[in-house]
Amino acid sequence: MVDKSTLSDDEVLAADLLRGHTDTIVLGILRRTDSYGFEIFKRIRDSTGGRHEIKEATLYASYRRLARDGLIESYWGDETQGGRRKYYRITDAGRAVFQRNVAAWTVTRDLIDTLLDLAGRADNPSGGQPA
Amino acid sequence: MNTPHPTDATLDIHRLLDEAFAGVAMSPERQDLKEEIRANLVARVGELVDTGHSPTTAARQAITELGDLAPLLDATPASGRDEASAEWARHRVRPAPGFLVRTALLAVLGVAGLVLLVLAATDIAVPSGWLPLAVAVVAVAAGAGTADALRQETSISYPVPTARAAGYGLGVALGLAGLGAGWLHLTGAGLPWLLGGALAAVASVVFFTYLGGTQTNRHKPWVLRMAANHHLSDRFSEDPATAARFGLYTAAIWLVAIAAFVVLGLSAGWAWSWLPLLGGTVVMLLTLARMQFGPRPSA
Repeated sequence: MVDKSTLSDDEVLAADLLRGHTDTIVLGILRRTDSYGFEIFKRIRDSTGGRHEIKEATLYASYRRLARDGLIESYWGDETQGGRRKYYRITDAGRAVFQRNVAAWTVTRDLIDTLLDLAGRADNPSGGQPA
Repeated sequence: MNTPHPTDATLDIHRLLDEAFAGVAMSPERQDLKEEIRANLVARVGELVDTGHSPTTAARQAITELGDLAPLLDATPASGRDEASAEWARHRVRPAPGFLVRTALLAVLGVAGLVLLVLAATDIAVPSGWLPLAVAVVAVAAGAGTADALRQETSISYPVPTARAAGYGLGVALGLAGLGAGWLHLTGAGLPWLLGGALAAVASVVFFTYLGGTQTNRHKPWVLRMAANHHLSDRFSEDPATAARFGLYTAAIWLVAIAAFVVLGLSAGWAWSWLPLLGGTVVMLLTLARMQFGPRPSA
């Protein structure tokens, strides 16, 4: 469990940026296989090495938004114990939106890298020199 | 999950979830959300217990991690008024093209077998070795189709577990094979066919009785809620005990009818042997009418 109070400012900023891409991250996970809420949550948590997680409540809101827009569909599993799991599967529209968002993110990332280099950050940790 | 007392952990989490939703005006959407959260909490508790937490602290931690439900509930409508189509869309079940293809193929097989049997019955020369094959094909096709259909999720029912669906499929196949073997005997096959057929039919009845008696509800929560609110459901879903009684009555009626069929056929001749089957059907329908639609017992 990551307690927000122990995070540095950088990490809080990273968490905020991450939250802005919740829908795309969820689509990215469902792109590979159908999954249910806790598994999606765990996959996000584990793939960041436990450093970041997206709140479950945020994820539930994301599923509903994505389902309403037709990007994912839900169905109930047939577990016999502990309540049925609600699984989500990505739709073709969801895959298309995921590709588009990834492309947009790549452009944005390059753009921001360029802009920040142009701005000539003195403390650039990668050692890049301002032009 | 390797927990010594999994139910303890689950009990705690169900209670805490109910507390979290206490006083919240429920709607199908919110009930749906609650059920979704429930399964995820159970999974999280399982993970925590596996890492050494006690079930109680695991349940408490899982519900704490869930955080504040209020924003989520605000985004989920309390009641859907003009939402018939949204409701439909929410409970819609994706068509399964594979299932349609399988059903069509099985239907073709079954119809082909039936056509062969009808041709044989109308004195068109069909090689006699083909008839048992045709019966087998019809029985297997119908059984497989039944099992496959039960495996499908519908908008009001969950899919039947594979083993149980296969059981129903086997019951159908046995029943039809029994009837088919009886038919083969009537059209000239030896006595072993009749005995084998009767055995298969009885096995099928016993099988169905067992499956019916142990069947649990597979209707979805929202269907049950609607039924409870509107009293639209039938007697059997309201009162499983009545349904079980009907299952037993039916089994008894058919056992007697089939026994009488065999006895009458062997003694008075096959021309009259079908009468007990007719009688059995009539008694079963009357029982059904009485138990399903009869006057309601005062509570």
